[in-house]
Amino acid sequence: MQTLYVHPLPVRIWHWTNALGFIALIVTGLQIRYVGLIGLMPFKTAVSLHNWIGFVLIANFFVWFFFYLFSDKIKVYHPELSAMKHFRASFRQLQYYGYGIFKGDPNPHHVSAYHKFNAMQSMTYQVIMLLLVPIQFYTGVLLWDVKRFSGMVELFGGVRVVDTVHVLLFIFFVAFIFIHPYLASLGHTPTAHFKAMFTGYEEVEEETGRDSIA
Amino acid sequence: MAEPGRKGTTTGAMHRDGFVVAALVAWLGLIPVAAPSARAADSPANTLSDGDKKCLTCHASEGMTKNLGNGETLALRVHGEAFAKSVHAPLGCAICHAEINLDKHPGAQRKIETRRGYAVAMIEVCRTCHEDKFKLYEGSVHASLLRAGIPVAPVCTDCHSPHSIAPKAAGQPMKAVACRKCHETIFEAYAGSVHGLARGKSAESPAPLCAGCHRAHDVGAPSVGDRLRNTCIACHGGTIESHQSWLPNAERHLEVVSCPACHSPGAQRKVDLRLYDGVSRERMVEKKGVPQFEDRARSADKEGDGLDAIALRSLLKQFNVEGAERTTTLRGRLEVRTGVEAHQLSDKSRAVSNCDSCHREGADPFQSVTVSIVGADGRPLRHDAQKEVLNSAVSVESMRGFYAIGGTRIKLLDVLLVLALLSGILVPVGHMTVKWLFRRYLDQIAKQKSLENQTAEPARGGDTPGKQ
Repeated sequence: MQTLYVHPLPVRIWHWTNALGFIALIVTGLQIRYVGLIGLMPFKTAVSLHNWIGFVLIANFFVWFFFYLFSDKIKVYHPELSAMKHFRASFRQLQYYGYGIFKGDPNPHHVSAYHKFNAMQSMTYQVIMLLLVPIQFYTGVLLWDVKRFSGMVELFGGVRVVDTVHVLLFIFFVAFIFIHPYLASLGHTPTAHFKAMFTGYEEVEEETGRDSIA
Repeated sequence: MAEPGRKGTTTGAMHRDGFVVAALVAWLGLIPVAAPSARAADSPANTLSDGDKKCLTCHASEGMTKNLGNGETLALRVHGEAFAKSVHAPLGCAICHAEINLDKHPGAQRKIETRRGYAVAMIEVCRTCHEDKFKLYEGSVHASLLRAGIPVAPVCTDCHSPHSIAPKAAGQPMKAVACRKCHETIFEAYAGSVHGLARGKSAESPAPLCAGCHRAHDVGAPSVGDRLRNTCIACHGGTIESHQSWLPNAERHLEVVSCPACHSPGAQRKVDLRLYDGVSRERMVEKKGVPQFEDRARSADKEGDGLDAIALRSLLKQFNVEGAERTTTLRGRLEVRTGVEAHQLSDKSRAVSNCDSCHREGADPFQSVTVSIVGADGRPLRHDAQKEVLNSAVSVESMRGFYAIGGTRIKLLDVLLVLALLSGILVPVGHMTVKWLFRRYLDQIAKQKSLENQTAEPARGGDTPGKQ
C-alpha cells in the first residue's frame, strides 16, 4: 500500500462542516415539518437553528467553490467529454457495486491525486454541488424571509412551490446522508475512506489503486 | 283637520283639534308659548332662534307622532335641549326641513308612506351639506346594502340622531354607539375586549370605538383589503418590530394572519383562500351585474360537500383570463370564524404565541377552509372547500401563494420522505446482507488468490536477476 494526498485541508474542512451541518439541517428540518410528531426541541428553536446552520453552510459552500475554482484540484471534477466513455465507466462502476463487489472483483476505478472520483461520483457530485445544493440554499433563503424576497418567491412560482422544491431536495439529502457513508465504507477496509477524509491521505495499492472514494 | 289614525296624517295622544289650534295660534305669535323643555330661563333651548323655538312649541310635545301610509308612526317630537346642544342647532330647523311650507303647516297633508322611506329620502338633505361624507358613505358596505334593497341597511339617521348630534370632538361614551343597534352581539364582544374595557373605564381612553377601526362612513367589509390590519399597526406603534423580535418571518405573518387570529386567543380560526387575478395580481372582484363565482363554485362542487383539490383547480381555470400568461391563483389568509370572535381581543400577554398552534398537523386553523372573491357589493362571497385541499399535491399550482409549514404540508411528500428513509436504510442493509451471504465465496476467492500469489512469487523470484 502506498498513501496519496487526495483530500487537501480546505476540502476536508468543507466536507466535515458540510456533513455535520447537513445532519443538523435534516434534524431541525424534520422537527420543523413534523412538530406534532417529533419533540426534540421547540419549533422556534428548530427554525432558528435551521436558519443559522443554513447560513453557515452557504458560507461553507463558497470554501469548496473557491478552493476548486482557484486551484488545479478542479481537475478532479473535469467531466469526461465523451458521453459513451462516461456512460461505460459509470456502468462498470454500477456493475461493480451491484455485482462485482460480491464476488471479489477489483474496483474498476483507480484513485490518483487528480482522479479521485469514479465516473458515477464525478457526475453525481457535480449535479449535487452545482445544482441541487445551490437550489436548496436559494429556496432556503427565500423561505427564511418570504416577505423580503417576495419578488423572487413569485418568480419561482409562489411560496408553496418554493417550499415543495425545498422539501423534495430535503428528501433527496435524507436518502443521501444514509447511502453516502455506506458507500464510503466499501474501501479496502470499512474505515479507510473515513480516515482519509480526516488525514487527507488515501491508501492505495502499489501501482494500481483499487478503491474509489465514496 | 286630520283624523286620528288616518294614513298620511299627523296624530298622537295630544293630537286633538284644540291642540292644533293652540299650536297654530302660538306659531303666529299670538300667545307666547315656550317648548316644555325650554321653559327654564337658563335652558340651552333659549339659545335657539325664535323660529326654531316656534317649531318646538309643538314639536317638543311628548308623544307627537304622524301616522304613515303603511300603518307605522313617525315620531315628530324634538327634544329642545338636546337640539340646542347639537351641532345642528345654529342651522335651525328650516335648513333641513325646507320642504315644509310654513303657511300651510301643520295643516298641509304631506304623505309619507314609511319611516324607512322617509329616512332614505332624508339622505339627500344630509348630502347637501355633507357631500364629502356622503361620498365616503356611497363607497361603504352600508350603502351597498342599501342599493341592494336590504331593509335594514343603515342610512344617515340610523346612526346620527338628527336632532341631537354631538360635537365631533367629544369623547363618545360606549352606550351612545349607534353600531350596537344592528351589531349587538359583536358590540357585547367588543365591550368585553381589551379595547372595550379600557373605553368603558373612560370615554377619553385612546382605545377605539367601532369607527376607530371600521371608520364611520366608508365602512368596508372587515375581511376585504388591508385596512383593518393597517389600522391596528397605525395605533400600535412598533408592531412590526415587536413581532420581528420573536417571530420568524414576522412580516409575512402580519400579511397572512389577521390580528384577531392570534389576539383573540379563544377564537376558532379558519383559512380563507382568496382568488387573485393573475394579470393585475389584485384580489378578484365580481363584476357588477355578472355574478359568476357562486354559480361556478356550485357547479365545481358537484357533491355539495365543499370543493376538493381538483374542483378547486377547475374553478380557478374558469377565472383565468384567456391568453394571459399568468393564471388565477389563491392566497390564503388565517382569520377567525365569526365577527364576534374578531372583537374578543385580549391583552397582548394572552395572545397566541405558540407556533405549534398553527404549524402542526391537524392544527385548528386548517380544519375550516373557504374560497372567496369580493362580491360586487364589496362583501366577500365564500364557498366551502374541503380541508384536504391544503395538503394535496394537486393544489401546489393552484395554491402556490399559500403555505404554512407543518400545518399544510403535502401528504405525498411525507410518503416520499418515508420511502427515502427506507431506501436510505434498506439499500445499505440489503447490500451488506448480500455481501454477508457471499462472505464464504469471497473467502474462498481470497484464499485462492493468496495461493496463486504464493505460487507466482517463487516463480517470479526465480526469474529475477540477482535473486539467485
